[in-house]
Amino acid sequence: MIDVMFSSLGALLTSPQTMGLMLIAVLIGLIVGATPGIGGRLSIALAIPFVFGMDMTQGAVFLLTMHAVNGTSGQISSIMFGVPGDGDDAATTIDGYPMAKKGEAGRALGASITASGVGGIIGAGVFAIMIPVLEPVILAFSPAEFFLLAILGITFIAFLAGGQNIFKGMIVGLFGMILATIGMDPQTGTTRYAGDYLFLWDGVSLVTLVLALFAVPEMITLAVKGGSIASVSMENVKYSYKQIFQGVMEVPRHWFLALRTSIIGAMIGMVPGLGGSAAAWLCYGHAVQSSKTPERFGHGAVEGVIAPETASNAKEGGSLLPTLFFGIPGSSGMAVMMGAFLILGIQPGPAMLTQHLDLVWTLIWALVVGNLIAVTFLLFITRWVAVLTFINASMLVPFIIVMVAIGAYVNEGQWENLVILVMMSAVGYAMLRAGWPRAPFVIGLVLGRIAEESLHKALDLWGYSFFVRPLSLVLIGMIIATVGFAIYKSRRPSVLDNLKVTS
Amino acid sequence: MMSKATLKNAFKLAGAACFVLQATTAFAQQGAEFFKGKTVNYIVATAPGGGYDSYGRLVAEYMQRYLPGSTFVVKNMPGAGHIIGTNAIYASKPDGLTIGTFNTGLIYNQITKESAVKFDLSKMSWIGKAAADPRVIVIAQQSPIKSFEDLMSQKQPQNFAVAGPGSASFVETVMLTNALKMPVKMLSGYNGTDDQLAMRRGEIVGSIASRSSYKAFVENGYGRMIAQIGGAEKDVPQLASMVKDEKALGLIALVQSQGDIARLTAGPPGIPADRMDALIDAYKKAMEDPELQARAEKLGLPVQPAYGESVLKAVTAAINQSDETRAMLSEALKAPKK
Repeated sequence: MIDVMFSSLGALLTSPQTMGLMLIAVLIGLIVGATPGIGGRLSIALAIPFVFGMDMTQGAVFLLTMHAVNGTSGQISSIMFGVPGDGDDAATTIDGYPMAKKGEAGRALGASITASGVGGIIGAGVFAIMIPVLEPVILAFSPAEFFLLAILGITFIAFLAGGQNIFKGMIVGLFGMILATIGMDPQTGTTRYAGDYLFLWDGVSLVTLVLALFAVPEMITLAVKGGSIASVSMENVKYSYKQIFQGVMEVPRHWFLALRTSIIGAMIGMVPGLGGSAAAWLCYGHAVQSSKTPERFGHGAVEGVIAPETASNAKEGGSLLPTLFFGIPGSSGMAVMMGAFLILGIQPGPAMLTQHLDLVWTLIWALVVGNLIAVTFLLFITRWVAVLTFINASMLVPFIIVMVAIGAYVNEGQWENLVILVMMSAVGYAMLRAGWPRAPFVIGLVLGRIAEESLHKALDLWGYSFFVRPLSLVLIGMIIATVGFAIYKSRRPSVLDNLKVTS
Repeated sequence: MMSKATLKNAFKLAGAACFVLQATTAFAQQGAEFFKGKTVNYIVATAPGGGYDSYGRLVAEYMQRYLPGSTFVVKNMPGAGHIIGTNAIYASKPDGLTIGTFNTGLIYNQITKESAVKFDLSKMSWIGKAAADPRVIVIAQQSPIKSFEDLMSQKQPQNFAVAGPGSASFVETVMLTNALKMPVKMLSGYNGTDDQLAMRRGEIVGSIASRSSYKAFVENGYGRMIAQIGGAEKDVPQLASMVKDEKALGLIALVQSQGDIARLTAGPPGIPADRMDALIDAYKKAMEDPELQARAEKLGLPVQPAYGESVLKAVTAAINQSDETRAMLSEALKAPKK
């Protein structure tokens, strides 16, 4: 095992052709990831014709690298303009964009890019460690556990809203859960709140809602206020690699958080059915909940950037596991990847371990090396990219609004989403002006769907007795502890409130 | 010995045949001229990735090759279980520049006259179908059920996974369960490959699904196929051979007709005949291209094509069901009883 491990790394690094392909793959992956609205799934589907005729290992490395670094660049627009490219990037926006507003875009980007890389690499590590115990772990998660995990995530809302806002947070979270019920009822097939609008049958587009609630309100605020995104002038910030480096160093400073969120991310990726956005949001919630000063979140806490980014890259390593060893894809992106593997002559299944162990290790190393290349490259160019936050709003806002509109349209290719974008943008702006938290909304939306569907399945399968499954009891214990902790905290006056009183 | 007259007649006949053949190819050629420098939108009524998308992209790429000067652009229009994309194809201008692919299961939705359905499959311009995708009953490895008889003799209802209500998987499972009186309890909401994982976990015993989607699962030793509907494979017994009931056989035949015409390509009603000939011609050449076949094989996508008229006939036959079948279908499409 050990010799295969290192010989695969050697073979990967010493083949100029494979390394060249990886460089190209990283570039494509980063560009696709930076564009809002188009996901990594499409890029793999489009790349499939090109991997015909490629050697098995090279083709697989090419596609996997492209897919793995996809999440690394999505954060750039989330942090700089408050424009998330996808549901999981939205978690990064909540603290990343306030940092940019404080003139700390460089620090935020430095931290988030490094966090993505670290997450990707730890994800690869989890992948390697999990191989022997893959079966029991994956098979332990059934609809019962999905339901309780979703509920656990929803309870994090209590912390996200921060202190006195707990009721506002609950209202917003419930609003998100109500919107999650739009569409075809997964159980009865009746359409709910969708009427004759076919585009609503599969639910409201998550990307559109996220853009409407986070991106557009910020842009309206910026346009009204004038000036630039960064509220301080460029001279005061002394914009340089130094600030980016400070950001990079934030990750080792919060190493334990980064490690935890990477592992949680990888585990969620490993268990098919929970979906990518859930990983980023659960980890964001975890960062807030485990912080000693949760009131800083939403106002530019660097942990709020690190947690979702580690999670969203770590989940790629995780979701490769069931794909490769069960032949059951862990995400929609991995489903496309599996098709591509078949073309290359790789037959995913338990035989991978016995017949293609070298390939498995090459793929693990490709995750590591690909993430390293992406991080180095992005850190290098960030210095120039971050300067955009100092551009005058009158020049910037129109461009970003167009980008947002394209993102909302392209994601599902339906013009009706533009109407939703405008309508929900008004709601988002009202929430922003009134000081209501917006993060609970996305949590309610993402996890509400999972909770509903898995509750139905679990009840159908086991009735109410699913609550007493061993893993269920553990999760119920965690939920009770979280809620109890939230109540305890809300009774204690927070540091921020004291500050407000004195100022 | 052949008389002179018969010989002459034979020549005449051959000449006429040649003429007809020439005329049709000339007709198709005339249509092919039209596509020079034009862009053809190939709509895939589902998201990127997955079977429909793979077949769609393959078909589009090779049809472009055999319609010189044309550019095929694949456009994904997912949503509402293929209905959005199919409505879009149906409503597009019948100039031959918009065609696409969608789920054969929409036949069910049309038979039951669903209000969201804005198309009439029997009026569409049928270019061809790429595959047959027979259905199988799959049972998880750990279950003691080894055959269809085993399944029928179960006292307790067995958990079967289906996708969302209204999906082909849902409709077929309800119909067959009711008609065959199978001891099956349906659990819906298992989309994508959720059902395979659930069978690995053991919470789900079986599933009625397309054979191709379970090929790898069975090869990996996670389950077994106990009955098949349609298809040429001989390793699994045909369900029809194990059933006596007339009504049930009728429904099995309906499901089989679904499986026979899988991975369709069609355009809106009223595409001019010469352009249709050119499209069918290009589709046929694409399907016969050994390169396409090799690529499809690697992807695990079976290629068993049929073209134009014959697909239309099969579709029409499937839609024209007796009132009794129609009633059973409507029943199956309704909300499940709790």
